[in-house]
Amino acid sequence: MLIRSRSLATAVAGVLALALTAGCAPGPLEQSDSPSGPVTVDFGSFKGKRMTYLYFTDGPDLDATKAAIGRFEQATGATVELQVVPYAELQRSLQARITGDTVPEVARVQDWHPYAGELLDFTDYFGKSYPDEFTDGAVSTTRDDAGHMYAVPSDQTINGPFVNVDAFAKAGVPVPTATTKWTWPEFVDAASKVAAANDMPSAISVDVSGNRLSTVLSQYGTTLIGADGQEGLDPAKAEQALSMVNDLLQQDKISKDFWLGAGTNYKGGNDAFLAQQAPVYLSGPWQVGAFAKSAPFKWAAVPNPCAAECGGFPGAKMMVAFSRSKEPTLGAAFVQWMNRTENQREIDQAAYWLPTRKDLVASGVQYPTHNEDMNTFISQIDETPAVGFKAISSPAFTGAALALIKEFGKVVAGQESVADCVANLEKEIDQIVKASK
Amino acid sequence: MTGRADAPRRSRFTRRKLVPYLFVLPNMVVFGLFTIWPAINGFNISFYDSANGRTFRPVGTDNYHRILGNDEFWTVARHTIVFVVGFVVASTVLATVLALLLNGQKRGRGALSAAYFLPVVVSPVVVGLIWNAALQRQTGLVNSVVSALGFGQPAWLIDPNLALISVILVGVWVHLGFYTMIMLSGLQSIDSSVNEAATIDGAGTWQKIRLITLPLLRPTTMVVITLATIAGFQAFDFIFTLTGGGPVGATTLIIQYIYENGFTPPIAYGLASAAAVILFLVIFAVTFLNYLVGRRTEAM
Repeated sequence: MLIRSRSLATAVAGVLALALTAGCAPGPLEQSDSPSGPVTVDFGSFKGKRMTYLYFTDGPDLDATKAAIGRFEQATGATVELQVVPYAELQRSLQARITGDTVPEVARVQDWHPYAGELLDFTDYFGKSYPDEFTDGAVSTTRDDAGHMYAVPSDQTINGPFVNVDAFAKAGVPVPTATTKWTWPEFVDAASKVAAANDMPSAISVDVSGNRLSTVLSQYGTTLIGADGQEGLDPAKAEQALSMVNDLLQQDKISKDFWLGAGTNYKGGNDAFLAQQAPVYLSGPWQVGAFAKSAPFKWAAVPNPCAAECGGFPGAKMMVAFSRSKEPTLGAAFVQWMNRTENQREIDQAAYWLPTRKDLVASGVQYPTHNEDMNTFISQIDETPAVGFKAISSPAFTGAALALIKEFGKVVAGQESVADCVANLEKEIDQIVKASK
Repeated sequence: MTGRADAPRRSRFTRRKLVPYLFVLPNMVVFGLFTIWPAINGFNISFYDSANGRTFRPVGTDNYHRILGNDEFWTVARHTIVFVVGFVVASTVLATVLALLLNGQKRGRGALSAAYFLPVVVSPVVVGLIWNAALQRQTGLVNSVVSALGFGQPAWLIDPNLALISVILVGVWVHLGFYTMIMLSGLQSIDSSVNEAATIDGAGTWQKIRLITLPLLRPTTMVVITLATIAGFQAFDFIFTLTGGGPVGATTLIIQYIYENGFTPPIAYGLASAAAVILFLVIFAVTFLNYLVGRRTEAM
């Protein structure tokens, strides 16, 4: 009896202790943003200071970035530690560092919204006119409604297909030129013929990514987020687009195994294209540098197929600086320096990135090779419906794109009809938009 | 005088009582800092909302309401229960069979035990990657054998039902060696004279196993069931690299659900902590139930 009473008393004490603990906040309570204002940046004051740049790489951009960092270190006397993480781990890694209060000074990201409240406003450091140095499309992805600029666009992306030119030649299928307009049925037909003639298991390889799937939605005339920032799916158009992609997956023209095997993670289709498992790859210009270096066959970038609309779907890579880092001003200065005309040009040329600066877009960037392919991608920017640029600047886009992948996966696995998928997506995106306000 | 004589005796007594605690103190400090404190903190966070894990907003029991009213959570809970039941039953049965076979082995028992134990020392992440390659539908090693036998190319990792079975089988493969060793040590602790007496009385092999070995092995079996249940609820690492929780969430278990809410944007630390508290309560209840059943069977 004594033992039982003691156990009971211990259990009660434990529960009381937990209840008392729950009364104390596990950390500081949320407060409204602290006021900020103009900050003077003196590039001569960074000598001996250290900072960290958290980076993900698509390949050749890494060497170009290292070279630019070397020039920055020489110019300022500061030391920059470049930490490279896989793209798929970037958000988790950054989030863990925010939680642990060990944020890097600067990070390369594809969306600043998940880190809102942690970032420096670059207009505080470089003036209200600083955003004007960048193209409207690129800068729209880096600002909030109040005009604060929480990121600097370092490269513009636009989705588009690559083709295996050697495989097309072997199949006797003409490779489309930069001005070719082709429809989705023509695109699929060509890819299927080439795959069959070359004994390739799939016709089209594609990244498992909500952004890539948004390209097809855009071509069918709809987007996850509309121009007004609200849920923007047109159910009929979305059903058409998703049915078409699902048919390709069910016929294994796009590898169903690859798509479903990705789970909830991003998965790149570049390996299948490089291994000549598919003659066509839907991706974007960030692959050009890597393909130029390592593709064992002749390849080319070609225009996107059209449905109701043509063009691809935009994306952006940007640099952010964290306000709670040890050297925030050095971080802001580094971001600005890396995106000066001469530095962005050098990185763009070496990494095959599309420029975001107005002056570079106007003058054009001369790439060492594959200028035609880069121009094909640039031409796709003009073809892309403007609502796509609005959609990706929404704080809800990343969540909506993830919901698209999850919900569409159920269609591919035969657990849900396309109509139900679209109806569920509309509800989910609506909630995501509301939660992002 | 009595008081002075008592003082060294009391101090010796106090020292004798204190010394054992001093020996376990370093371990308890580490355990307290890295297990108990985070657990209490996790319980605390479950009553707050936080998008960054640094600043918090009190939300009362909202996180628990959100979880318990969330269809995805119940789907994950269902998958977890199927996994745990399949994993515990298969692990316990196979470990018992293997231990019986090994125990009857006169030669090479050590080498065979080492072979069965080998997967236990392989990193779970590597296990996931190896089996991911082996179970690929078109290019995997398993299907090259299966299709050669005329059974086609099952979609081990793509079919939602098969994927969960694949995950259970890989989980069993990983842990089987460990449970077999526990069972084997249980078998070896059974007094051999009991079996000898049964043999003299004319009992056959199956009768000896059924009527002597398995009943005497019950306490060890309960230990294996308890350990397998806990391991089953905590399964994550090898599944993450084997299927990533797919296809379409068919192999997403509770730990991955917690991980994704806690570390994949949009971050919901409070929600993840509430799910972790629920998991703790479930594991605690199941383990306690195992303990009660074990005590009752021992008493019988």
